[in-house]
Amino acid sequence: MASVELRNVKKRFGSLDVIHGVDLSVADGSFCALLGPSGCGKSTLLRMIAGLEPITCGEVLIGETEVSNVPPAKRRVAMVFQSYALYPHLTVRGNICFSMSLAGMSRATQNERADRVAKMLQLEQLMDRRPAQLSGGQRQRVAIGRALVRDPEVFLFDEPLSNLDAQLRVAMRLELAKLHQRLKTTMIYVTHDQVEAMTLADKIVVLDKGTIAQAGSPLDLYNAPANRFVASFIGSPAMNFLRASATSGDGRTLDLTFAGNGAMSVQTRNASTTTPGRDVELGVRPEHVQLTGTEEQTVTLTGTVTVVEQLGNATYVYVDTPAGQLIAEADGAVRIVPGTQVGLQIDSKQVHVFGADGAII
Amino acid sequence: MTIADATGNPTRGAAATASTGIGRKPAKPVDGLGVFLTLLTILGALFWVFPMYWALITSFKPEEDVVQPGIRLWPEHFTFQNYSFVLLNTKIGLWYMNSLVTSGAVTLLVLITSAMAAYAISQLDFPGRRILWWMILASFMVPIPALLVNHFILMNQFGLINTWAGVILPQLIAPVTVMIYKQFFDSVPKDFREAAIIDGATEWQLLWRLYLPINKGITTALAIITFIGAWNNFLWPFLVATSEPMMNITVGITQVTDAFGVKYARWLATATLAALPVAALYLIFQRRVTQAIMLTAGIKG
Repeated sequence: MASVELRNVKKRFGSLDVIHGVDLSVADGSFCALLGPSGCGKSTLLRMIAGLEPITCGEVLIGETEVSNVPPAKRRVAMVFQSYALYPHLTVRGNICFSMSLAGMSRATQNERADRVAKMLQLEQLMDRRPAQLSGGQRQRVAIGRALVRDPEVFLFDEPLSNLDAQLRVAMRLELAKLHQRLKTTMIYVTHDQVEAMTLADKIVVLDKGTIAQAGSPLDLYNAPANRFVASFIGSPAMNFLRASATSGDGRTLDLTFAGNGAMSVQTRNASTTTPGRDVELGVRPEHVQLTGTEEQTVTLTGTVTVVEQLGNATYVYVDTPAGQLIAEADGAVRIVPGTQVGLQIDSKQVHVFGADGAII
Repeated sequence: MTIADATGNPTRGAAATASTGIGRKPAKPVDGLGVFLTLLTILGALFWVFPMYWALITSFKPEEDVVQPGIRLWPEHFTFQNYSFVLLNTKIGLWYMNSLVTSGAVTLLVLITSAMAAYAISQLDFPGRRILWWMILASFMVPIPALLVNHFILMNQFGLINTWAGVILPQLIAPVTVMIYKQFFDSVPKDFREAAIIDGATEWQLLWRLYLPINKGITTALAIITFIGAWNNFLWPFLVATSEPMMNITVGITQVTDAFGVKYARWLATATLAALPVAALYLIFQRRVTQAIMLTAGIKG
């Protein structure tokens, strides 16, 4: 096991800067998810840690060793690819033993270690099959087995579940979580699926256009996003954003007015940047918006229901207000029809205010 | 009408099927163009196979029957004396061995050098890679007969006339094999390569343990077509192997002469014997040969 540290790591492809000086520390034994939309540089960052992509400048440390110029095989890392990359001409056993065979280990050692991994991943019955004869989930397990047998200090996963169907993805997610609990090996996991990141990782690094937008625990990112990008990326359904004007403030609180005469007073997180009179955006998660009658005293905004999504355990109600569209999460048993006039009560303690530059206020 | 089964009960399904015609394949309309093309192909095949048939039956005829006027599609007298003459009175055993050794060596060396060259051009990044690739492409445009004199002088200077090495070396120029290998190495997904690199593979191991095994089918196809090409090659072995014990089977045919004139049946018996291994190879690996021919024609099957 080893920690991973990136110091001012940059990557340039020709004249295009892809990674702009990333500093990141992944603790020994941690499960870190690199999360971001397509093209944000998360896979490039992972490949730089693996050594598959040379870094333009900066340092990569695995444990205490600087590995920027160390070949991938010597970094003590193992990688699971999105496509699994199982060698099609070899059996499952051949795939698992490939690295040991290259290293010149004896056949007996290879088989012993392969059998141990196969038992751990329930691959015993599949050892003589070829990748083409396996299902998606089985291939995934073989890919993990191939990584596991190398006994690496760091596991790197590049969107390993994205080729699986929804049901299998959930099952494999659980397998991965169990595997991490059992092995306690450092894992770095690239995904664009925030649910995967939230459920698996103890640290999430949100990347945006080659820079770290925020890094922290899943709940930190969910409850205290550092900027609008992180707030919008984490959470499903996504956070609601309402345009508002800050009318007055005393440094810690801000009075906001919305189009259509809605108003509320909110506490700010960052006192120094609170400036009354500027346009801001209020972010609130659907579970912190409550549906009420239009005549209630506590109502923040009123609007018309446009769409109702009933999931059984919860109901998502889309409401058009003069300030914009909002999604409110209601009880699964609630009965409401589109066209209904409703009041919306926003929990002022659970809101986030963002400036025009997207930074939290 | 009701159809009864063995127990005497009427089988309704069968009756329904019989009466309505459900379950029968609808009769296909006759495809006129298809019939025409099939007949044309059969005609072409007959036209092509006739000389081979003629050579084969001639090799079983006594020499005097061969020169009889008229066309006799089946020998009047069957004889094996042409074959026994060739097998007992010529150096055909040596010629066979020479052909086998030189064609085998050409095949092996062409595949090894082509695979390595193609891998380097396809997967490695080194200065001059593009120029090297263009040179290989350009060499494809130079007909081998145009280089015969140069090759002969070179082999003579190396002292390789009348040696296996002399027969083999100039036949190792095979740009088309490099091109086909490169095309297939290019299409191996990058993830395989990267996974193997993380597994600790060197470039050498990547070629021999990943790229070549993944493209095993192509190697087989190229091996067969290279072997057949080398076996059938006449001009260069004819020039470089002037002593009878060093001749290939194709050149050896020219040695089956007689002081008393032309012996067609003997020649054709030798030619039949010479073609036998290639014909057997073709019959065994028919599909692979077709694939290889398609590959060399630029069609990726």
